[in-house]
Amino acid sequence: MSAPDDVARMLTLVPWVLHRPGASHAEIADAFGVDVATVRRDLEHLDFCGLPGLGGGDLFEVTTVGDRVVLRMADELARPLRPTAREAMRLVLTVDAVADLLDEELPALRSAVTKVRAALDIPESTADVVGSDGPGTRSTLRDAVRDGRRVRLAYQGRTDPEPMDREVDPWALHVVDGSWYLQGHDHGADDRRTFRLDRIASVEATETPVRVLAPDHLEPPRYVPGDDDLVVVLDVSPRGRWLEDALAVDAVEEQEGGGARLELRTDAPGWLARLVLMAAGEATVVSPPSLAEEVAATAQAALAWYEPDAAAW
Amino acid sequence: MTPKVERLVNLTVALLEARVPLTLAELKRRTGYYASGDPASARRMFERDKDELRRLGVPVETRTVPHSDEQGYLVPRGRYELPDVDLTGEEVAALALAVRLTGTQGTPLALAKLAARAPEAPDLAATPTTRVELRADPVDAVADAVVQRVPVRFTYRRADGGEATRTVDPYGVVQRRAAWYLVARDHDRDAVRAFRLDRMRDVPVAVADAGSFEPPDDLDIADAVSGPQDPGVEVELAVQPRASWALAIRGGQDTGERTPDGRAIWTLPGLHPVRDRSFLLGLGPDVEVRAPETLRQAVIDALTTVAAGADAEVRR
Repeated sequence: MSAPDDVARMLTLVPWVLHRPGASHAEIADAFGVDVATVRRDLEHLDFCGLPGLGGGDLFEVTTVGDRVVLRMADELARPLRPTAREAMRLVLTVDAVADLLDEELPALRSAVTKVRAALDIPESTADVVGSDGPGTRSTLRDAVRDGRRVRLAYQGRTDPEPMDREVDPWALHVVDGSWYLQGHDHGADDRRTFRLDRIASVEATETPVRVLAPDHLEPPRYVPGDDDLVVVLDVSPRGRWLEDALAVDAVEEQEGGGARLELRTDAPGWLARLVLMAAGEATVVSPPSLAEEVAATAQAALAWYEPDAAAW
Repeated sequence: MTPKVERLVNLTVALLEARVPLTLAELKRRTGYYASGDPASARRMFERDKDELRRLGVPVETRTVPHSDEQGYLVPRGRYELPDVDLTGEEVAALALAVRLTGTQGTPLALAKLAARAPEAPDLAATPTTRVELRADPVDAVADAVVQRVPVRFTYRRADGGEATRTVDPYGVVQRRAAWYLVARDHDRDAVRAFRLDRMRDVPVAVADAGSFEPPDDLDIADAVSGPQDPGVEVELAVQPRASWALAIRGGQDTGERTPDGRAIWTLPGLHPVRDRSFLLGLGPDVEVRAPETLRQAVIDALTTVAAGADAEVRR
């Protein structure tokens, strides 16, 4: 961490500790999102801060007993420095995003966000998150997570021809940049699995309590490529570049004219073929040929419905 | 030598305590800093310190010292201090949880500033059911300009792949569907537009002073990124059973009618011509678009293009 970051934190630490005489190192570390060693070092520095030119009597007085801290003679910094524009924007946007999702579980957050926006002068007209309510399955899943009940899903896996039944001990819902996921233990696979909510065809809560519990630290969902994944190269036009966001791409090579060549791995070529189809010609498969053929075959099969003799019946 | 962090904190305290602007000579006398070495390097050291404090948000003002023509410096307490925010303990606890849920993106320091003088936060009993991941760092590039109302210029990659220079009044920042947008008035077109932050090819630079514009009162920045919505259109589809769930979770309805060959006829509220087409293309041969005619034709055209394009690719 750089000296300026340290200074910003120390200027805030003074009023924070003045307001909480006897706060512990651990409590301070927790509030500032740093480790205890950093807090100790900050306090050592602060013992030499104040107005040094006028002699020792004008320095702050840091008293530490055990791991408890009392700060005196620091009234010059009794109030915190205003957050910068960047800090204010980030704070408002992130807490507002959470408030949209946890309205019912954390009712105090909504009123807090209103107060924070007013204090920092960041109204909704300068910073906003357009949350999606999530699919209709969300509330059933949320209740099941909260109550620790197993759920039965009909899930459209990327490699399945149609939705399949799954029995899942639900651990948590996860919203990653606007996409919804459920993480939990899949009893059929007897392993942890991630499910996209927009591929859950239906959900049914059961009375069975959750048997396999979530690990202490649950990482956000990520696509982990497997050994036998297909390596795919796609060319996308400028208008097809949304595919970069929709896929976990290994490499992007910029092309003349604003397009790009994307390299990625997938365990579900059929699903990828549908994505290429969605791009409506703004994406083409460079390799492997088998995927290019699958895209063409899918397009031709869909086209069959629209041919004159098909429409006639 | 005094560690730099101590020097910067002490400089802040000295400037906050000043009743009148302090000259560099007076600061030397009060703090003992900037005294060693030649005057020019002492001045450079002070200038660097002053700039660093300003970057942290410490409002160091330069003013003429009364009854002299010398430059002095001070930090007005009213501009430095965050007034008390009237948060309850429960609200502080909820904010702390929200910041923790989103990792470092929510800047714990900003919350510590807001909560510095707030009541003690109670422990929250329940673990939230939903976690959130939001990458907020793209916002940094435009945050100052939005908050301080500074018109900016940047190079932008247009949707067709070309690059163009844009000069805008930045009104606000919106996150929608995994993308960040700057909603701004485009000077050249004199119209409000949404710019994707990840299509900016350089860091926006100021082209005028802070406070140069006033955003319109009736502006809804969330509306500005949603694009044209056309909810009046109803889409009619012939559907294979295996795709019906995908339509059901999008608000589709089975009309109960059947095509002569036995496929179910569904209706779906149309939202957006391009996104609807894309969604329906993704269902491949499982759906046939029957109405509206424009969407049916758009799907036929896209399928024809893909079928031909993919053919050409295979032959090559």
